[in-house]
Amino acid sequence: MIYYLLLPVLLLLLVIVQITILDLFSLGWIGMEISLIVVIYAGFHLDALRGGILSLILGFFLDCLTSAIFGLYMFLYILIFYLSMIVEGKVYAGKPVLIASFTGLCTLLEGLVIVLLYRFVFGADILYAILKIFIPQAVVVGILSPLILGLFQRFEVFLHAEDRRPARRI
Amino acid sequence: MLVPRKYHSLLVAAVLLILSLAVLSYSAARLSETGFLRKTVLEAAAPVEDAVNISLKGLHDAWKRYLFLVGLEDENRRLRKQNAALSDQLNRHREGHIEGLRLRKLLNLTEDLPNRTVAARVVDRSRTSLFKMILINKGTADGLRVGLPVLSEQGVVGRIIETAWHASQVLLLIDENSNIDALIQRSRAQGILQGAGAAGCNLKYISRVEEVQAGDVVLSSGLAGVFPKGLLLGVVTGASRREEGLFQKIDVAPAVDFGKVEEVLALISDAGADK
Repeated sequence: MIYYLLLPVLLLLLVIVQITILDLFSLGWIGMEISLIVVIYAGFHLDALRGGILSLILGFFLDCLTSAIFGLYMFLYILIFYLSMIVEGKVYAGKPVLIASFTGLCTLLEGLVIVLLYRFVFGADILYAILKIFIPQAVVVGILSPLILGLFQRFEVFLHAEDRRPARRI
Repeated sequence: MLVPRKYHSLLVAAVLLILSLAVLSYSAARLSETGFLRKTVLEAAAPVEDAVNISLKGLHDAWKRYLFLVGLEDENRRLRKQNAALSDQLNRHREGHIEGLRLRKLLNLTEDLPNRTVAARVVDRSRTSLFKMILINKGTADGLRVGLPVLSEQGVVGRIIETAWHASQVLLLIDENSNIDALIQRSRAQGILQGAGAAGCNLKYISRVEEVQAGDVVLSSGLAGVFPKGLLLGVVTGASRREEGLFQKIDVAPAVDFGKVEEVLALISDAGADK
């Protein structure tokens, strides 16, 4: 229960940090999408319900604060979460190369969906964004992802660490 | 249980995907008013974003102004501190003076406009290049609502796409999702001004036979009813007639320097107020 109570607050803080502090490092070019890495981490470690709700809430916050099309990130993050679950079930998802490649591919998938949506729903051609924004972003987020996933893993281990003190004699 | 346990994950996945796809399809098809949950998120995040940005700016200023003084002689330090304090004071006065000039321009603009206006401060702007939006510190409590046009003293900034009680998101003129009915002031030719991201804007659907020159002023035509007629949108920077096609390709530089906008005016029209 505490998971569902704390989750929205932590995710909103994550999104605010992403769009304010981390945005400074983007140099007006590519975004540091840590939220995407969180969704992939959830896909590798959480069950369908908990991870699905995490992706839904994270996508909702991003839609509220950064997206011009409401629902875009909700759909993308839920899709990427279940893709991550499928990948985790098929291969060993602990290798840094696999994590980096998969994160890069997910960033590209996200870009492709946005470009197609703009093309077919709004009639705007933003194909240039694939080369100019999403490929560099896929490379940067891909390189960062094994590091950040490692940090998440340490944090999770810290949270679930057993009490190793010897039992008191009676 | 109706569904076997091994299919639970599949069922949850299908429900969440269908739900999110339905929300996306609905909001992509129409411009809807901001719902309560979205308003709450925007309302909760706006002050935090504002505080973080002010802190970051303060840190940046402190770094620039004071940290390089560390390690100098006492006298030097005292003089430099005095100098920094005076510069800071001068800077604040200068900032106040510039702000006064800007507000006077906005006030003049307010007097020229037929509609009621609400002045707002820009709290945050998207620095990454895909969605071109700014966050302002006024919302439904001040009479703002989705779809209202937003101006600066330089010209049209964009329109409101999300509103909370005390904050709103403004979609800038240069976003690819922005389309405004426009006309060329000199020739009166009418078209649609569409955002083109960092490249500025494109004026579409102007016939090949129209003569368009660099430097022509582009104004809002007032046709769609969102923007009043005659607001400055930008200036034509280039026009080319391609071999095929009925229309010209016209590049337009927006009148507003979006990187420097600090205060804006939202135009409140009475039409659609009951929405």
